[in-house]
Amino acid sequence: MSSPLENLETQLEMFIENVRQIRIIVSDFQPQGQSVLNQKIQSLVTGLQEVDKLKSQVHDIHVPTEVFDYIDQGRNPQLYTKDCIDKALAKNEEVKGKIDSYKRFKSHLLSELSKTFPNEIAKYKAIRGGE
Amino acid sequence: MMSDQFRKVEPYSPKSSPRGARSPVVSRQDSSGTLKTTISLGKNPSIVHSGPFYLMKEPPGECELTGATNLMAYYGLEHSYSKFNGKKLKESLSSFLPNLPGILDGPGQEDNSTLGSVIAKRPIGGKELLPLSSAQLAGFRLHPGPLPEQYRYVSATPPKRHKTKHKKHKHKDGVPPGQETPLQDSSNPDTYEKKHKKQKRHDDDKERKKRKKEKKRKKQKHSPEHGGLTPSQHPLP
Repeated sequence: MSSPLENLETQLEMFIENVRQIRIIVSDFQPQGQSVLNQKIQSLVTGLQEVDKLKSQVHDIHVPTEVFDYIDQGRNPQLYTKDCIDKALAKNEEVKGKIDSYKRFKSHLLSELSKTFPNEIAKYKAIRGGE
Repeated sequence: MMSDQFRKVEPYSPKSSPRGARSPVVSRQDSSGTLKTTISLGKNPSIVHSGPFYLMKEPPGECELTGATNLMAYYGLEHSYSKFNGKKLKESLSSFLPNLPGILDGPGQEDNSTLGSVIAKRPIGGKELLPLSSAQLAGFRLHPGPLPEQYRYVSATPPKRHKTKHKKHKHKDGVPPGQETPLQDSSNPDTYEKKHKKQKRHDDDKERKKRKKEKKRKKQKHSPEHGGLTPSQHPLP
C-alpha cells in the first residue's frame, strides 16, 4: 500500500500526462480526433475528482510557503531543505558553543571567588547543593 | 544631603509609622538590619528569603533538551543531513521533477503560473466536479489543422527532452514536430510506469551504441589503412 503522498503524486503525474496528450491532439487537430479529445476532457474531470478525493489524506501535511518561492523561481525546492538544515546546524553549534562557554566561565568564576571569599562561596555552594 | 535629612524617619515622631519604613506585612527575621529577601511584584507578588546573599534567585529549571545536544541526531535527521550535504544539489526545478513535460525552469511570473498567486488569489472551489454533458462538450469541437505559430512556441518542450524523444520515435510516420511521444492511456498507472522503464532501456541502448562506435574508431586508427581517409573513402576489399 503506497503512502497518501505517493498516491497524490501518481494522480498528479497522470493528470499532467493527460494534459500533455490533449496538447498534442489539439496542436494539429484532425477531424477524427474529436472523440478522443472528448474522452480526454472527460478524463481530465475524472483526474480532478481523484485529486479532490485524496485531499483528506494529506490535510495534515504542512508546506512552508517559502518553498513556493523557490518553485516559482524555477529553483530546486530541495535547496530550501538544504538551507534549513544548514541554518539549524549552524545555530545548534552556536548555542552549544555559548552553553559550553558559560559553563567554563561559571566554574572559573567559582574557583577564583573561592580564593578571595572562601567562606561566602562555601555558603553559596551549600545553598546551591554543591554546584 | 539635604534631601536625605528630610527623608530621615524620626522613630518617635507621631507623623511617621510606628514600624518605620518597613512594610507591616513582611516579618523582620534578621536583626542585623540587612535585606535578605527578594520581593517580586507583579501579578503574583512573592517574598523569597535568599539567605546571606543579595539578589539571589532560584536557578532556572534544568531543561532536558538544549542547544548543547546534537539536535540533528536527537530527531533522527542525520540521514537527511548526509543526503543533502553529501552531494551537490542541482539548482534547476527540472532536475527535481525530471518526468514533467514542458519548460519548468523559467520564473513563474512570466506566464502568471506562480504557486504564490494561487495562495494570494484562491481559485473558486467548493463546487462538485461533474463530467461534462454532450452539450457542454460541444464547446470543445475544434477545427482541423495546426495551431498558429505563436501558440506552438509557447507550448514547446525543452530542447533536452525534445532530443531524446525525437530519437526514440524517429520511425513513427505522420507525427508532426513536438508530437514525438505516442499517446498512452494515462489513466492506467501500469502503462505510465512502462513509459519510464522504456526510456531507461533506451538510454542503455544509446550508451552501448556509443561504446561500440568508439571501439570501431579506435580500431580504424590503429589499422594500417588509416591514412586520413573517411570510412566511406576506404577501398572495398
